[in-house]
Amino acid sequence: MDDRNDTGAESSNEAGAGSYSGNAATTRIGLDVGTSKIVTARGDSKRSESASQLNAFLAVPYTALAQSTLQQQGIPYYREGDELIVYGSASEKFAHMFNAESRRPMAKGILNSREPSAAHVLEAILSTLVPPARQSGEVIAFSVPAASAETGADLTYHEETLKRYLKGRGYTPLAVNEGLAVVLAELADESFTGIGISCGGGMCNVAMSYLSIPSLAFSIAQGGDFIDAAVGSVVHESATRVKAIKEDDLDLTRSTDDKIRKALHIYYDKLIESLVDELHRAVGRSQKLPRTDKPLPIVLAGGTAMPVGFRDRFEQTLRKRTLPFEVGDVRLAKDPLTATARGALVAALAEG
Amino acid sequence: MNGGNHPSDVEHKYRAQRAPCNRELASELAHISADITDPVIKLKYLRGAMDGRAGYERSVQQVPLAGVRRVLYRLRGLEALDPLASDAAARATIRPETLIARTKARRMVSGTLAAGLLFMPALLAGVVLTLDPKPAKTAAAKPQLPPAPVVRQVVAPEVPPTPAEPLEADSLGVQPSTIWLADRGPDWELYSNGLRIETAYTVEGEPRSYRVHDRNGVLQKSVFTRPVGILFHTSESDLWPLEADYDKQIRRSSAGLLRYVRNTRAYNYVIDRYGRVYRIVDDETRASHAGHGVWAHGDEVYLDLNSAFLGVSFESRWEGGRTLPITRAQLIAGRNLTNYLRQRFAIAPEMCVTHGLTSVSPRQHLIGYHRDWARGFPFEAFGLPDLYAQPPPSVTLFGFGYDDEYLRAVGPWTGLTAANEALAREAKARSISVTALRAERRAAYQLWVNQLRGKNAGAVEIPAQQANKRG
Repeated sequence: MDDRNDTGAESSNEAGAGSYSGNAATTRIGLDVGTSKIVTARGDSKRSESASQLNAFLAVPYTALAQSTLQQQGIPYYREGDELIVYGSASEKFAHMFNAESRRPMAKGILNSREPSAAHVLEAILSTLVPPARQSGEVIAFSVPAASAETGADLTYHEETLKRYLKGRGYTPLAVNEGLAVVLAELADESFTGIGISCGGGMCNVAMSYLSIPSLAFSIAQGGDFIDAAVGSVVHESATRVKAIKEDDLDLTRSTDDKIRKALHIYYDKLIESLVDELHRAVGRSQKLPRTDKPLPIVLAGGTAMPVGFRDRFEQTLRKRTLPFEVGDVRLAKDPLTATARGALVAALAEG
Repeated sequence: MNGGNHPSDVEHKYRAQRAPCNRELASELAHISADITDPVIKLKYLRGAMDGRAGYERSVQQVPLAGVRRVLYRLRGLEALDPLASDAAARATIRPETLIARTKARRMVSGTLAAGLLFMPALLAGVVLTLDPKPAKTAAAKPQLPPAPVVRQVVAPEVPPTPAEPLEADSLGVQPSTIWLADRGPDWELYSNGLRIETAYTVEGEPRSYRVHDRNGVLQKSVFTRPVGILFHTSESDLWPLEADYDKQIRRSSAGLLRYVRNTRAYNYVIDRYGRVYRIVDDETRASHAGHGVWAHGDEVYLDLNSAFLGVSFESRWEGGRTLPITRAQLIAGRNLTNYLRQRFAIAPEMCVTHGLTSVSPRQHLIGYHRDWARGFPFEAFGLPDLYAQPPPSVTLFGFGYDDEYLRAVGPWTGLTAANEALAREAKARSISVTALRAERRAAYQLWVNQLRGKNAGAVEIPAQQANKRG
């Protein structure tokens, strides 16, 4: 990564990364390493700020002109052989410009083993969001998915890669289950008791927490990408276009005649069914369920949970099932996109 | 701070799944943490309070009085504020009243310690008696059951000892050699082993009348009218926390259950959460408690379990792959009732079985249609052999199977594994597939059931006295 240009302060366009001016002695970082986005939350227990980058990249053929253009516009890139790798949120703009599909260094919640340069790109993106530690050994908490049949040993590799990188930046890394991070961000008033569900691009992560202790955690390898790909395949549209519509104005409470939106409704329902099915199965086989008579609240977070009506559909599907505990409120996180990072930040502050 | 301060166990606590703490401790911690406004301080507090809790919980759980346990957990919760209280910024986020309570708790602990030093010998004796989690096992301390007068020689299967809830002082007293009706009132009966049966809800069911097959499939001619076994159930009803605050709800819930069971003639007995034993359907008549089921003992195979078995239901339910724990009062009452019924009807220990072990779905040819007590019944505490270790007759005789959902919910158990192995051995010996063997057994089951449906042709009524001698 010698040729990396990470001086572009790329993420300052998003939410002010690097602009936080809190007390250095108490500032910590929570990091959500998601399949489609990487989000950081930094600050202290009273105030936090977030920043994000798309977890994507685009390879364009190297020319002196292209390199000069990237440099002039302050776009993060690095050169690899005869290609220029544009990474982070800028990759999407360039993908539109070149009419190409951006690629992902991660798939289904972990490093994409089919992308040879996945670790390299991921580190490049992280470098724009995570500055070197101000003091050696500062705690940084980062999200990791729960193990699933699909992830297997690759999860360990993914986690170790992140740890090594963060240690190299001078931090003490702390892995936090993604679903638990949602609980830590949103359920402080309930003494961190309830169920956190993070619906991301590559997967959905679920954790049941009892007084902050995770008693059940699982993931399903379906998320926003699954919906985009499935809908794209049935309506013969690119996944990128489907994603754009999904993120733009999808409303799951309104029926529609538009074939893309109709297909989105169908696959959202399928995702919700799978999620509730797996929750039902997981609690059925768990030996560690908390014995509480209080209803357990459920918090939904992540970009995939953001369309209007997602919460309602999830709750309707869930309440049709009999679970060995009473379900309380089902609510959407205050800011679904940053909930995981904010929860990781709470863990970093508590352990720091 | 440096990386060395974060060993892997610290890191894993935000991702590794762990058993939750018990409800009493959780209740105290939730109560105290509600007084902390800052999420980070709250998280620090909870994590600190739960570090190394397992040993403490085990010790406190030995204390028999819920009130005392609550106080101990509250003390633990307040002590866990210590690391935070020394930090002024953290103190500011904790409700002042809670901090005052912490100071008082410290004083109380100090006072108790001082008293302890003064009365050390007595205190030590008390601690040994109340907190020792592993009391020495002696022959005298082991629960002893009066021998049931079983007429037929019964060979109990060899079963490994199973962990069961230990009984305490009640097993140490003198037990009567036989159980008799010691007293009775208009709505109750009192037996010499302390069993009290409430009879206000008692109704008549349908007359008992059943026949049994031998293991060769021959339907015996005799018709029996007396129960020869006990089938343990759970009521699958609402459960409220066993705490004084919920007393009204607990009683209301039990009363509703009793009315329902009486109206539907669902069980012969119900044991509520306070350990009260209600006779609902009279012993001499049958309750509708078993559905389709299979059990066998010796050479006899039972397919009409409603008639052959008494249904005893504990107010509890199967949930999340296990039976929710019954209360100590229910356990003691259940044991007394079992002893009484075994003596009265000369019931063999191997005929005291759970509904979850016998229930089948004939249509799908699967075991576990009902799952109450499919595992977790405290056989040892009842002085009964562990029937979970015995191959279920439904599988060995009739080839009933199970699906993935059953395995996920109940999990494999010793008897089921043994039954499957027996089927596999037999299939191999006969050079047929296990599937073919199961199909053959399934056909046999249908045939046997059909024989029962066309029952009583050539049947011979067995007098009650003679039937009473069956075991």
